[in-house]
Amino acid sequence: MSDSIISPSFSQRESEAITHATLPEVFIYQVARTIQDGEFVFHGYGSLVPTLAMLLARRTHAPHMVHVEGATYSINPTPPFLPPTSNDWVLVRGSMMALSIGDLFDIAARGDMGRMFLSGVQIDRYGNLNVTAIGAPDHPQIKLPGSGGGCNLSADAQHITIWTTGHRATIDRTGHRQFRFVRHIDFVSSVGHCTPDGTPRQAVGLRGGGPDWVVTELGVFDFDPATHVLRLRALYPDTTIQDVLDNTEFAPIIAPDVRTVPLPTPEHIALIRHFDPLRTHHREFRTADLSRYFNL
Amino acid sequence: MAIFTADDKRLPLAEAAAIVHDNMIIAIGGGLSWREPIALLRELIRQGRRNLHVIGTAHGIDVDLLCGAGAVHIVEESYVGFEHDFGMAPNFRRACESGSVQMRDTCCYTLIQQLRAAEFGVPFLPMRSIQGTDFLRLHPEYKTMTCPFTGLPLVLVPALVPDVAIIHAQYGDAQGNLKILPPLVADLFFIRAARHVIATVEQLLPPDELRAMQPNVPYFWVEAIVEVPYGAHPTSCYPFYAYDRAHLAEYYRAAQAGPEIFRREYLARYVFEPATHDDYLERIGGVTKRRLLESWKEDDNAWRALFTAPEGAIA
Repeated sequence: MSDSIISPSFSQRESEAITHATLPEVFIYQVARTIQDGEFVFHGYGSLVPTLAMLLARRTHAPHMVHVEGATYSINPTPPFLPPTSNDWVLVRGSMMALSIGDLFDIAARGDMGRMFLSGVQIDRYGNLNVTAIGAPDHPQIKLPGSGGGCNLSADAQHITIWTTGHRATIDRTGHRQFRFVRHIDFVSSVGHCTPDGTPRQAVGLRGGGPDWVVTELGVFDFDPATHVLRLRALYPDTTIQDVLDNTEFAPIIAPDVRTVPLPTPEHIALIRHFDPLRTHHREFRTADLSRYFNL
Repeated sequence: MAIFTADDKRLPLAEAAAIVHDNMIIAIGGGLSWREPIALLRELIRQGRRNLHVIGTAHGIDVDLLCGAGAVHIVEESYVGFEHDFGMAPNFRRACESGSVQMRDTCCYTLIQQLRAAEFGVPFLPMRSIQGTDFLRLHPEYKTMTCPFTGLPLVLVPALVPDVAIIHAQYGDAQGNLKILPPLVADLFFIRAARHVIATVEQLLPPDELRAMQPNVPYFWVEAIVEVPYGAHPTSCYPFYAYDRAHLAEYYRAAQAGPEIFRREYLARYVFEPATHDDYLERIGGVTKRRLLESWKEDDNAWRALFTAPEGAIA
């Protein structure tokens, strides 16, 4: 992950009074740190966490990343606020021009997309994601909205950051625990490091490198290079290894040196609040996580 | 795919909609809450169209509305939902889960390559992605092969020809030339691949005025054109109007409440009862509503307000 270099241009006054970070702000900072300077970076529609992470990275440690915006495909926009819908002229503001949908996916297909962000309603140990349907596809119990461009980009992008704000298992009406990180996913919408039967992605002819980081509200993960299985790397100041184990249906690998996530600086936090004055990103988080604060 | 050379392609909305028949593959322009040809879709519903196969990338109320009206048999889109605004698409979801609609989810690039194959006049295009996913299982029409040049596995996706592309553009002329302002979404791919193109436009302009705007769709691809101001409502159509968040909230509440309530409180009220498009514009709130949706032009505060109201309408 990248070390941060703070842009000195941002108003110091706005950041001086900031003494704590919210969980969403710390989360967004972790996602931003997966972005390298000079990369071609794309976030999908309806993706407020990656949108803010990209805006933050571009204003701090990655001033030369190419930022292509979700549904409008506008290049390096500076939106005045973030609306709750993605195909809007608000998100075009400040960009010189936009790509066509064909151009954007062609760039990924020929191997030039550096990073993309994906999420899933079911996530397995290899980083395969399901956003298509729960249950059998020919008779779905729950029809999910669909994968957008995720299927193609999970194959083609050089790097993928997976993120989810729903790691903590919930209890359904029948008293069963509902896991987001599951042993078996019902539909592979986008590919991780291995197919569910354990075939490595290179063996099925894919070009991209697959997911390298996974950010959740419980911790930060990567994938063990030997087994390709999800591996815990860092926790928040208020989460434990036991929290991760209790809320993951399969057994993740625990790195020998699990650390505490680095916290954003007041300048980072001021930027996030500046980019999202409507706090639209709160819609991505559960209520309980919105009340998690960390002293700086 | 066909060439349409008539000098004047203006038609009333009902006659343009009659180009679409039951069982056709239709490609709906725009996406999510932006520039979708909703006025024409309402007309399709009034005319009782059935068993449509809809294709597209990331869509929202357009596909959900058609599902709620029972007009759809197959949905081949990459996403149908209301993003963080309201959440999952209630009618679409219900239709897929009950089996009345066949979910044939696609992915953005897969669809674009299938449309390109149609546009290029070739039977298929090869792709590297899709492998390792269950989209192969969902789409027996995709084939796999070993590349004769590299020896690597490839997926072949067949040309997909929409019977009709239904597009809402900002500007057009009587001959059918169009100026569509971005985000263009997949509109140009739909237009180049489709057998028939129906366009509704916010404004019909004299040819000289349209020429000055550098149109991006030539007339010979367009079979029918209809001037329908607010033809994308309740989705947005800048630079004319922002989306109607309060209306979408009302739609969503009705759709969530179940098929009967949706029919009674939404379809009856907004699709079947208004006898003309002017009646529809009155029904949604008349000139007061239109002024509000155009207030985004005033300044950023007015624009912001359109995304927050009605506060707390949806839990």
